Amino acid sequence: MPFLYAAWTVKYKPASTAEIVGNTEAIKTFSDWVNSWSKGVPKKRAAFLYGPPGVGKTVTVEALANDLHMELVEKNASDYRTEDAINRFAGLASQYGSLFGVKRVVLLDELDGLTGNADKGGVKAITEIVKTAQCPVILIANNAYDPRFTNLRNYCLLIVFKKPPAGEVMKHLKRICVREEIQADDNALKFIAQRSEGDVRSAVNDLQALSQGKKRLTYDDVSWLGYRDRQENIFNVLKMVIYGRTSWGAKQAVDMADVDINMLFEWIYENVPAHFTDPHDLAQAMDALSMADVYRGRIRSTRDWSFTRYVIDYMTAGVAMARQYSKVHGWIPFKFPSRIMMLSRSKAERAMQSRIGFKIRRKCHISAARASKEVLPYLKIIFKNNANMAAGIAKWLDLDADMVAYLVGNKEKAKPIVAFLR
Amino acid sequence: MSFEMWAEKYRPKRLDDMVDQKEIIERLKSFVKAKNVPHCIFAGPPGTGKTTAALCLARDFYGEGYREHLMELNASDERGIDVVRETVKTFARSRSIGEIPFKILILDEADNMTSDAQQALRRTMERYTETCRFIMCANYSGKIIEPIQSRCAPFRFTFLPQEEHDKYVKHIADCENVQLLPDGAEAIFEVCGGDLRKAINTLQSAASVNKPVDAKLVYSITGRASPADVQKMLTTAIKGDFLGARKQLRDMIQKYGVAGSDIIRQIHTEIFKAAEIPEPWKIKLADIAGEIDYRLVEGSDEEVQLSALLARLVEAGYEIKK
Repeated sequence: MPFLYAAWTVKYKPASTAEIVGNTEAIKTFSDWVNSWSKGVPKKRAAFLYGPPGVGKTVTVEALANDLHMELVEKNASDYRTEDAINRFAGLASQYGSLFGVKRVVLLDELDGLTGNADKGGVKAITEIVKTAQCPVILIANNAYDPRFTNLRNYCLLIVFKKPPAGEVMKHLKRICVREEIQADDNALKFIAQRSEGDVRSAVNDLQALSQGKKRLTYDDVSWLGYRDRQENIFNVLKMVIYGRTSWGAKQAVDMADVDINMLFEWIYENVPAHFTDPHDLAQAMDALSMADVYRGRIRSTRDWSFTRYVIDYMTAGVAMARQYSKVHGWIPFKFPSRIMMLSRSKAERAMQSRIGFKIRRKCHISAARASKEVLPYLKIIFKNNANMAAGIAKWLDLDADMVAYLVGNKEKAKPIVAFLR
Repeated sequence: MSFEMWAEKYRPKRLDDMVDQKEIIERLKSFVKAKNVPHCIFAGPPGTGKTTAALCLARDFYGEGYREHLMELNASDERGIDVVRETVKTFARSRSIGEIPFKILILDEADNMTSDAQQALRRTMERYTETCRFIMCANYSGKIIEPIQSRCAPFRFTFLPQEEHDKYVKHIADCENVQLLPDGAEAIFEVCGGDLRKAINTLQSAASVNKPVDAKLVYSITGRASPADVQKMLTTAIKGDFLGARKQLRDMIQKYGVAGSDIIRQIHTEIFKAAEIPEPWKIKLADIAGEIDYRLVEGSDEEVQLSALLARLVEAGYEIKK
């Protein structure tokens, strides 16, 4: 059942440096340095690109290699722990031109991934290679000023990548929307851009999650993000719950989550079905969520918040322990709780419904809450079909023009009814 | 031109006007005769006449000026403890002037009160019994705390049988000059299951189309809540498409505001009708439905509870195929 989708971060990855969001200066410095290799080995044989996640470091290297038609050999630094691997890397870096005359660049990504004492030798070996490299070596890390890199830094051209301003990010999102044929409100895109704090990758991820399959994206669609924390966090938390092996481990997730328990519940409730493929497991997991909800009900009726611990038990450990037979193949993305999106989208609508509910309540001996659920749908039908009957009821219930327009669903058609009210 | 919702226009005014619930009405009438009434709980599904009975009782007690001796509170809108402390107390403790020495307080949808508020209410009921009698209307009497239940005379309202239902709906149709065809009345009963308020609202909205009301029209009006939809959801689940079934459920609840209790009632009926479910499985599934129905009373989220039931149906479908 795993449904793969093309991540927009990949689909709309800049193919050329010209398309990269922000960091113009850094890109210029970097491309000058790479170009300088054609005139001979420069003083610094490595460029060290550093900066916060998602600002385009790796993308810059890839796009430039593409622009210059160079062969890019891309490696993850944490693979270079063994001597053997380091020797292979040394071999790669020792030649500029490849067999077919294409120039080569070597990229060593995620240097932060080298951790602790075990990898100390790794940084040292990389330094040695950089000293004698015969082709451009590019190193990437979030923080170049980590003490481990002190010596390595001496041999590198340091290039800082900064967070692009929200306006730039927004332009990028806009371009994507045009190509996906999504009509997006400016303030919606602005909101996503601002929230991403310069992390273009997460902004694009957000945009995709919120708008894929839609024709239109409004501010209401995105505003609920306000109380969602960065997705890295919630994804890790979900992993702990949905793939947790111990009850205790799954329960820990609640402490790690930056969202409140009800929101976390929504995340789990949304994502359980896709990750529990076996029907028995699914039934078991949904049963756990049902019981968690029963305890929420008990909290509500007793006002005793200490029952929260059982809500947590069921929604975390209860879900994790439901996994018996389910095997998940490949990567299934975690999805935003669509139910919350649906609810927030209709927030204005529900406010209107509740106002009408209060009007109904005055006449019909029924609570406003029930009236908006049980009577209002019928009013809508009447107001759409029969202006006379609608006018009578509108007067009887003392509805205002906005309410009438809402019930009719069309301002023009509501006019005669409103006129009658006056 | 009709200026009201028919459900209000044709709400019975006196106990004598009420249809069905015969035994309850007889007992209530005996209270009027004795000029005394205990605290009461009117429990039962929506649209079966709980509020109406309470209002009729008050009118029979006090006559047309009954409003002065009556307070109607709706616990769904005002369910906090403050309301009990302030509004209820103030009303309950002042003495009524007139022949009947007590007032009546109708607490509608009382099962939506917090248990704190109910605890506070219990003392108020005790202290001011002389000056005020309480009538609590609730869908589930189980949600009302034990001590209050023990202070009240219980009355259990049930859905109207089809005969009574049809008679009343036809009566309204005649008064409003609506042509109601027999299969139309039948369809209304099938969709509303004896909930009279819903039935009358359905009739009125069908009548607003200005065509004879037949089954087709009724189903198109209530199309989204019609039995076919629940049936479809059930089939989707049994086939193993949980997400598809949950989507249908969500639409029913969020877009069309169908009550969870209605959905589970229909699921229960459908389980026994469904040909794809082997006979021995039916009672098993009914048991699961019952368990979820009970949780629905205790839980706070209809979709979560019902989707747990859907997951069980998916599981059953998988087992059946084996």
